Amino acid sequence: MMVWAVIFGMGILVFLNRYVFLEPRLPVRLSSNARQFLGFAVPGMLTAICGPIVFMPDKQLNLQWDNPYLLSSLVAIGLVIYTRNTLLSMLLSMAFFFLLRGWL
Amino acid sequence: MPLSLATAPWGLLAGSMAIEANLTPLQGQGLSTIVFAGAAQLVAIGMLKGGAGIFSILLTTLLLTSQHLLYGMSMRHVISPLPGRWRVGLGFLLTDELFALTSQHDRQQFNRWYALGVGLTFYIAWNLFTLAGIVLGSSIPGLEHLGLDFSIAATFIALITPVVRNVPTVVCVAVSLFCSVLFSYWQWGSALVLSGLAGMMAGFVCNKLYRERT
Repeated sequence: MMVWAVIFGMGILVFLNRYVFLEPRLPVRLSSNARQFLGFAVPGMLTAICGPIVFMPDKQLNLQWDNPYLLSSLVAIGLVIYTRNTLLSMLLSMAFFFLLRGWL
Repeated sequence: MPLSLATAPWGLLAGSMAIEANLTPLQGQGLSTIVFAGAAQLVAIGMLKGGAGIFSILLTTLLLTSQHLLYGMSMRHVISPLPGRWRVGLGFLLTDELFALTSQHDRQQFNRWYALGVGLTFYIAWNLFTLAGIVLGSSIPGLEHLGLDFSIAATFIALITPVVRNVPTVVCVAVSLFCSVLFSYWQWGSALVLSGLAGMMAGFVCNKLYRERT
């Protein structure tokens, strides 16, 4: 039941986020500060999600070089900078990750 | 339209991860049908699996999808004069991809049918790939040991890296990364939201200082 509540709650929130500024009767505008703050939403939030996945596989802090998550993330960053292609870098770094996991 | 193929790994992942997190197939599909927001879905599934509370999941969703506020604001001048039905429909379909494809159009160029077509294509592709992910996830056991969680990291890294172009963003990412690892290490329940907010705040403050100086 909780899962459905989450799904519908998320649906409503996401829709409101998308719709609220399309509503012509809404006179308010976000202040410039709010806009600047929101501009950091993508790097800030997405990084916070990646952090534990990359540095703490199996819920343990792992800064060793045999942590495939850490190595593959560095490869992913390098690929994005080098190729400037989001999808390609994603696929190649995932392939690298699976190869590395099989090998280690 | 080839852009809708880019939703394939995401959709597959969203579907198979839902199954892996012990959601029913209907719930997995429901996420894609009702919520229709890739990053937020994957994160919510991860949080459900980790046993997070409804409040922290919804707060994370709100923060993760807050970029849509900016899309809505910049599309306001073309979409808000349309009839209610169109506003609601296009509002629901307003994704990163749709925004990317239509944001440069001014009032003369903007075609509501084109926007609707693009939006619906993404919606259908997203749901079909989710379905495929659900089918694969339920028929192939042990999919969770493949390390699919790295694909989330890979996707986000690919999305974040091009954005990191100035000092405030570097600070934002560094603070967020450090806090997320530290807070998770301390096993705080709302580690993600708090570290995300900390990163955003750091970036924002740094941006202020940076601008004053130049």
